[in-house]
Amino acid sequence: MSAGLSLAHEPNSGVPHGKLAMWIFLASEIMFFSGFFGAFIVLRNSNIEMFSHSAGELNSYYALLNTAVLIGSSLTMALSILNLQRGNNKNFQLFLGLTIVCGFIFLIVKTIEYSTKFSHGIYPSTNVFFAFYFTMTGFHALHVILGMIPMVFMLIKSYNRGGYNKPVKVETLGLSWHFVDLVWIFLFPILYLIFPAHH
Amino acid sequence: MEHHDHPAPELMIKQYLKIAYTLFGLTLLTVVASWNWVPQSWGEIGTSVHIGVGLLIAFVKAAMVVYIFMHIKFDNKFLRAFIFVPLFLLAVLSFALNVLGP
Repeated sequence: MSAGLSLAHEPNSGVPHGKLAMWIFLASEIMFFSGFFGAFIVLRNSNIEMFSHSAGELNSYYALLNTAVLIGSSLTMALSILNLQRGNNKNFQLFLGLTIVCGFIFLIVKTIEYSTKFSHGIYPSTNVFFAFYFTMTGFHALHVILGMIPMVFMLIKSYNRGGYNKPVKVETLGLSWHFVDLVWIFLFPILYLIFPAHH
Repeated sequence: MEHHDHPAPELMIKQYLKIAYTLFGLTLLTVVASWNWVPQSWGEIGTSVHIGVGLLIAFVKAAMVVYIFMHIKFDNKFLRAFIFVPLFLLAVLSFALNVLGP
């Protein structure tokens, strides 16, 4: 628009406002989870025995499956955005649908995992490790659910005549979805893998 | 104002697939790295190495998600601040809690 002018004080960042807002939100999300990780470090360092023993009781196969599901869903999300940008509404629906299915699979596995723990008499109040486990994975699952709700709406709207026509909105939602994957990438080794005592 | 330096869509699909495969591979590597491969004789340092390798793989995976899936590699450079500033604060926090703590 004003390419010939000095842009030193140009207020336009070139990033759509919704996307910029999402990045600011994600920055605050990093700090939100940092609080948990920080507290986890402090309490683990003073209870190493108990943390290792409790982490050994987690089922890392479920977590491995869920990691694969989330990575897959990140891929389908990226592909759905790409297809929408190219105006291919059919493939957009396919990949967005697959992303929602992956989200459901993740939540089902999580539910199985939680109910197994409950049936073994393990609750958030059992000890500090399980308080962390349930709080962190619980907040993470909440993010999965909150990401899936707008996805379902977008999928429904894409069946209107002309298809879904707001690629920036999907791209912005995609950012939050990839972030959920990102948090899991750290939760998986920290809760399930690195710390348990090996028998 | 908005500029898209993204590669052509076909190349993007290839890149996404490559990243996804690598992420699957690195996930398996995380599992392998969690096995008991550090010699007992390394003691405290061995534990740190064990944890460090696991976290290093996680950071590599995270960087791939952020750069390719979240388009930080292609988007406006100033968006990087939203990743690196909180990440720096997290690094300071972890360092302080782990190294400077009691």
